[in-house]
Amino acid sequence: MTDATASASPARGSSTRTKSIITTDANTRRRNRTEKRFQYYGLAAIGVGVFFLFALTFSILRSGLPAFTETAVTLDFTLSQEQFDEAESQVLKTAAYERFFVQELQAELNEEGAGDVQVEEDAISRIMGNVGSQIREFYRENPDRLGEEVSFSVPASSRVDRYLNGGLSRELLENSRFLTPEDLDIVDRLSESGVLTNVFDWDFITGTDSGVDNPGGAGLGASVVGSFFMMLVVLALSLPIGVAASIYLEEFAPQNKFTDLIEVNISNLAAVPSIVFGILGLAVFIQFANLPQSAPLVGGLVLTLMTLPTIIISTRASLKSVPPSIRAAALGVGASKMQSVFHHVLPLAAPGILTGTIIGLAQALGETAPLLLIGMVGYVARTYPDGLTSGLLDPNSAMPAQIYTWAARSDPAFYEKAWGGIIILLVFLLAMNAVAIFLRRKFERRW
Amino acid sequence: MYDADHNRTETRVGQKDIKISCKDVQVYYGTNHAIKDVSVEIEDKTVTAFIGPSGCGKSTFLRCLNRMNDTIDIARIEGDILIDGEDIYDKRVDPVQLRAKVGMVFQKPNPFPKSIYDNVAYGPKIHGLAKNKAELDDIVERALKRAAIWDEVKDRLDASGTGLSGGQQQRLCIARAVATEPEVLLMDEPCSALDPIATGQVEELIDELRQNYSVVIVTHSMQQAARVSQKTAFFHLGDLVEYGETEKIFTNPQDSRTESYITGRIG
Repeated sequence: MTDATASASPARGSSTRTKSIITTDANTRRRNRTEKRFQYYGLAAIGVGVFFLFALTFSILRSGLPAFTETAVTLDFTLSQEQFDEAESQVLKTAAYERFFVQELQAELNEEGAGDVQVEEDAISRIMGNVGSQIREFYRENPDRLGEEVSFSVPASSRVDRYLNGGLSRELLENSRFLTPEDLDIVDRLSESGVLTNVFDWDFITGTDSGVDNPGGAGLGASVVGSFFMMLVVLALSLPIGVAASIYLEEFAPQNKFTDLIEVNISNLAAVPSIVFGILGLAVFIQFANLPQSAPLVGGLVLTLMTLPTIIISTRASLKSVPPSIRAAALGVGASKMQSVFHHVLPLAAPGILTGTIIGLAQALGETAPLLLIGMVGYVARTYPDGLTSGLLDPNSAMPAQIYTWAARSDPAFYEKAWGGIIILLVFLLAMNAVAIFLRRKFERRW
Repeated sequence: MYDADHNRTETRVGQKDIKISCKDVQVYYGTNHAIKDVSVEIEDKTVTAFIGPSGCGKSTFLRCLNRMNDTIDIARIEGDILIDGEDIYDKRVDPVQLRAKVGMVFQKPNPFPKSIYDNVAYGPKIHGLAKNKAELDDIVERALKRAAIWDEVKDRLDASGTGLSGGQQQRLCIARAVATEPEVLLMDEPCSALDPIATGQVEELIDELRQNYSVVIVTHSMQQAARVSQKTAFFHLGDLVEYGETEKIFTNPQDSRTESYITGRIG
């Protein structure tokens, strides 16, 4: 095709030699049109990409941001020593505290000019959950605060939360056994009078997971710690193993069938579905090596297997990008192979290696499938590990596993938590990628 | 040409010692026979030029002299290369030690992306030539002076070596090579990436280096060979066609191929 046009043009060229170059000929116009059209295709592709990025960001933020807030009653409260003693002397202690709370709430409502609303203990129990036990807990732990004014922020139940932010309709709740129409009226009035407000829910970021019946109390904190310990394992294993393997393959290994085979297999491993690594981890680390289930150590080992090919490939690429003239220069002044690699090649390749490692870690951080099989998904992480051994060996969850668990729970309030978890996970991933970009910019060297 | 004449009169005065003696050297790249039966004796304190058309094997042969071809897996070398009577391809010879004795300057200036000081100090450091910082400073200064670049860089030894101009970079590489106190200096087309002025500076330097070293230079430029060398070897298709006094090669070549090359009919 090109040959034909090429051989045709000289013949035409001789007949149009006198033609002016001011006017573009048909052939040039056609080529220019093709080029323009190609540019538009490119722009359209970028436009579609940007649109999806915005749509994704918007939907994640819209669905996930409510998970960071909770509806709570903030009430300034003074409990005297006598009231405390009296409550503690009763049989139903928490009911006594709840009575105080309701009295204070009623007083607050009267002050706010909503005195027509009559709050009762039963209704408050349905709306707020067990208020009394929260107050009792506080004063038993901080007896010195008795007699002082203390500001309590008592969260409403997750159903009220979702009702107020539009997640649940009134009809649906009225027909449920949890809240009566009168309760909802009270909720409406409390919200209008500003007693029931939205506050930032730190427990979502720092807290532990809750059971299936309490979406309001669910937090991602424990699984962040679980992910952190997994990343420690991945970093400690995959960086030295990956870099050593790459240096050997790139700088020392002879070029033969065996090293070719290894190279092909490393590339193939990078494309193996991660669930395969999960089932391998289950068979090798848990069933054969008897390591504990759901432990971040096992998760880290599995993710190491997954991250190694990524690190090896990026490390070899950055070693390759160091010009051979540097190696020749080092050998030329009498450095040994080892000295030329460690004194000259490796420092120059370091930014690339670091970037590859961080991107590999970020991939591992977001990986869910292998964790399904080693028992990290579905585990309710109710406690924080205390110390390194416990962090590595005690069962825990990980961020993506926790998100998956929440998304799979039946209560729709967990769905919102899952979106919120995705936001936190994305913040971590973006931070890691930002570090990678920063390192590359700072240390990259050009020849 | 005047320089060449001047040099020639000098070489005639005293008989020079043989520094490198090569006998029946064969180099194979896989199945490709790159160097065929090359025997040559390179004198001490002399500049020897290897000339010839591209792909004739002159660089390959040069790289045999400090075993840089060892880094190429498929390269195979036969025959004897003796430096000061010692076979450098002997099993007991560590190429690292050899390369401290036989320095090399490459075609493209390739300073390490480190400071000027570190570039020169690297070789002496790894060979343990300096006992302390003061000695190392001395070695660096001496090497930079010998490479005729000291005056240009003495105020910015901490600046990066890659920030210098092309000619300065090449002279820095020469300083780096002489810092390890080699006895032979191999130069693989050291001026091909330089402009005429930088080339002139490097050629002047090569002439000075002759006082202390046996210099072997590969060059594409016949004028350069005539200007800087006392001995010239002409390679063609892996054969050493002719070797002798530079003056004789350029004025009265014995082989018709040499004549064709010099007069510009081949190559």
